[in-house]
Amino acid sequence: MTGSRKTRTGIGLGLVFAIAFAVAASLGAGGAGAAQEKALALPRSQTLYTTGTNWGPYNNLNPFMNWTYVTGTVGLVYETLFRYDPLKDKFIPWLASSGKWSGKNTYVATMRSGVTWSDGKPFTAADVKFTIDKLKIPAHPQHTLWSTGLKSVTASGNKVTFSFGARPNYQEFDNYLFNIPIVPQHIWKSYNNNTIVSGNVNDVKKLVGTGPYTYHSGINSQQTFTWQKRDGWWATKALGMDVKPRYIVDIFNGSNAASLANLLAGKIDISNNFVPGINKQVGSKIQTYYKGKPYMLPGNTAWLFPNTTRKPLDDKAFRKALAHSINVDRIVTADYGNIVTKANPTGLLPIWNKYINQSVVKKHGFSYNLNRAKTMLRAAGYRDSDGDGFVENKDGSDINLSIIVPNGWSDWMTAIQIIADSAKGAGIKITPSYPDYNTLVDDRGNGRYDLVIANDRQVSNTPWTYYDYIFRLPILKNQTTVNYQRYSNPTAWKLTQALDKTPASNQKAMKTTLSRLQQIFLQDLPAIPLWYNGVWAQWNTSQWNGWPSSQGNQVLPAMWRNYLQMTGIEMLTRLKPAAS
Amino acid sequence: MRRYFARKLLTYVVTFFVAVSIDWAIPRFMPGDPVQGLISRMQAQPEAAEALEGYYTEAFGLDVPLWKQYLNFWVALFQGDLGRSIWQFPEPVSSLILHAVPYTLALLVPAIVLSFWAGNKVGALAARRKSLDDTVLPVGYVLTATPQMWLGIVLAYLFGSVWGIFPISGAYDYSLQPAWTLEFAASFLYHWFLPFSALFLVAFGGWAIGMRNMIIYELESDYAHYLESLGAPRRLVRKYAYRNAMLPQITGLALALGAVIGGALVIEVVFTYPGLGTMTLTAIQNRDYFLLQGIFLFIIVGVLIANFIVDCAYVLVDPRTRTGMQGHR
Repeated sequence: MTGSRKTRTGIGLGLVFAIAFAVAASLGAGGAGAAQEKALALPRSQTLYTTGTNWGPYNNLNPFMNWTYVTGTVGLVYETLFRYDPLKDKFIPWLASSGKWSGKNTYVATMRSGVTWSDGKPFTAADVKFTIDKLKIPAHPQHTLWSTGLKSVTASGNKVTFSFGARPNYQEFDNYLFNIPIVPQHIWKSYNNNTIVSGNVNDVKKLVGTGPYTYHSGINSQQTFTWQKRDGWWATKALGMDVKPRYIVDIFNGSNAASLANLLAGKIDISNNFVPGINKQVGSKIQTYYKGKPYMLPGNTAWLFPNTTRKPLDDKAFRKALAHSINVDRIVTADYGNIVTKANPTGLLPIWNKYINQSVVKKHGFSYNLNRAKTMLRAAGYRDSDGDGFVENKDGSDINLSIIVPNGWSDWMTAIQIIADSAKGAGIKITPSYPDYNTLVDDRGNGRYDLVIANDRQVSNTPWTYYDYIFRLPILKNQTTVNYQRYSNPTAWKLTQALDKTPASNQKAMKTTLSRLQQIFLQDLPAIPLWYNGVWAQWNTSQWNGWPSSQGNQVLPAMWRNYLQMTGIEMLTRLKPAAS
Repeated sequence: MRRYFARKLLTYVVTFFVAVSIDWAIPRFMPGDPVQGLISRMQAQPEAAEALEGYYTEAFGLDVPLWKQYLNFWVALFQGDLGRSIWQFPEPVSSLILHAVPYTLALLVPAIVLSFWAGNKVGALAARRKSLDDTVLPVGYVLTATPQMWLGIVLAYLFGSVWGIFPISGAYDYSLQPAWTLEFAASFLYHWFLPFSALFLVAFGGWAIGMRNMIIYELESDYAHYLESLGAPRRLVRKYAYRNAMLPQITGLALALGAVIGGALVIEVVFTYPGLGTMTLTAIQNRDYFLLQGIFLFIIVGVLIANFIVDCAYVLVDPRTRTGMQGHR
């Protein structure tokens, strides 16, 4: 009897211990810093809840790691010399109050006075020189600034001078002007090179920026991260700009269904996620940039890349026939519910319409036309000789092209099914498959694929980024980020480089070069533009008003990385609490 | 006793060694190069890509021969270093796991312990009363046959979306931060209830049915009949039956641990609960092999420890094993 009682007490104690442990562990989840953090609930009317950027725990505050840093690290904390408004194609002086080319090879930027870091120290030209010099580290994510021809950077007074040895890559340099976050020398000088190029720099006490927000709480959390508005942001005094939310809470991207439910319930104010079927929710409470089709602003082009080293995709006649056989409208309506739009045959984003040479497009462009596709195939020598409904190669061998997108990207998975189905109408056999992302990257880089969809290059200040993506030479063993199709055209690449070396002020020269590039592109079709992916954004108006809109408030409704320093920050200055 | 534990321990060490080796090998023999994936996400210019590739290959320790990577892995493991996450580079895997684990334990431990306790109690009761048996049996079968994830979705839909009684995502309100306050604790419990319930109910059904069947079986055994014929009170008979029925249940607990952990991982995904399950999903989506490897390692160790505890408990609960080991007669 005593034995069994002891046993039972033992188990009982075990239970008590286990439960106590669980409760203690769960409550201690906040980590060591929890006790000091402000524990009170944030006031709803002063808080903006955002989601759609962070797919992992909030642990990286390195502004140079612009594919992974915590939502808002650049834009809300660290700022750039300029901002860029892609809707108006205008550079906005930011930490620099002005900047201009003095002579062909020298760029002089004047730093704004009265800007202070959040620890009270003044922002100076020396901070800029320090930041730019650190980009010399070869593994720095923005190291290629130093391949634009830049030779040295000097700071004197409030001026920063960029001296170029050769003719500068103007277009690329302009792009860097609004993409390099400036960090405080007095703090960052203590970091070693490894920390600067790839550290997570997440000691929040050392998070000092020039921007309107500072750290509130949430480092290492897998649920939320909170920014707190700070006093004394320079733009309030200098430009009359004031960010309205006192707190910004960014919410980890979890399940799509929960995220949508929280948006509809007003627990999330703005979601920058791709939400299938959002077009059916748009009304007075849930809104998007456009009231109707296409709802979203275009953010990038989804391209179909043919592997030009493989038969029959090495034949431009075949590629053109393929382009004519793809029913993009069906993808736009059936797959996306009209929240995207069909791409221009040049693939250039609508913001670059002024650069599109319409007569070139008219002459060499393409559109969905099965009869035309069939005629082109026949003319080029691709016939269906065995009567299976699909054309064969010129040597009589079967054609069966595989088309790949990453597994789990459901909208793209549907898109390639539609492509395969619609190409069938012209007699081209395409088989969709869905490898995992790393496998796809590996195969794509090493040219082990037939057809792949990609959309890496985003909206920017220059179509040069697009042509660099399509035409860049030389072709390496592994094409990690550009020219996946392994298309070699030295003329086109020379023109792309010439475009890079044309200052944006010389619009006439830009247009001439661009129309030649368009002609080569449309004649050879090394990539097939499909549709414009949107700057996904939907918001709930129950707490905040004054959202971006195609009518009036034309700024980017995005908290995404690299978008805040375009016009995303302006969205925050124009919001109004719904109550007032 | 010592021999018993020595033998058990040896089994655990071998299991640990094999499981960890497999865990190490799987990511390395998967197709695709994680460094290439990272560089692709960075959108590096080609002239920079080469420098970055070298830099990151070295940072992940992938620049040495495979056998050396394996040795390094074990050395690092005993220093508590699980490597760095690819997708969250440069965050150490151990730090990522450490921040997620409390949430998973907060779901898992109460769900296992309470469902085991309540399931056995209710199962034993059900075996005693016909009226209770008629409800416990079908309900238990339905519950135990329900996939946790599905039950989670149903609970979230009904109690969250339709009736709006409980929140459907997160571990605490978005307006709060973890802190030692009543407000946070209340919010935590409020958010904890649905995912906990989904885990608890499924496991509860299994234990209740198991216990009910065992008790009925035990009551039909010779010793029970003998006791009854001696005129022992029914309560005493049932008490003995309960103790004997407990033994297979404890063995069952050891076997069920893996399934419950798996269930907790998917439940977290349903409720966007910031624990290991949610992290596992994002690690899979981002092909973060090192993080996955770390999470699995953690689960392996967790299951082994839990099994060891169950083994110890078994010795305490079953006097036969004890006397057998100690050589008493």
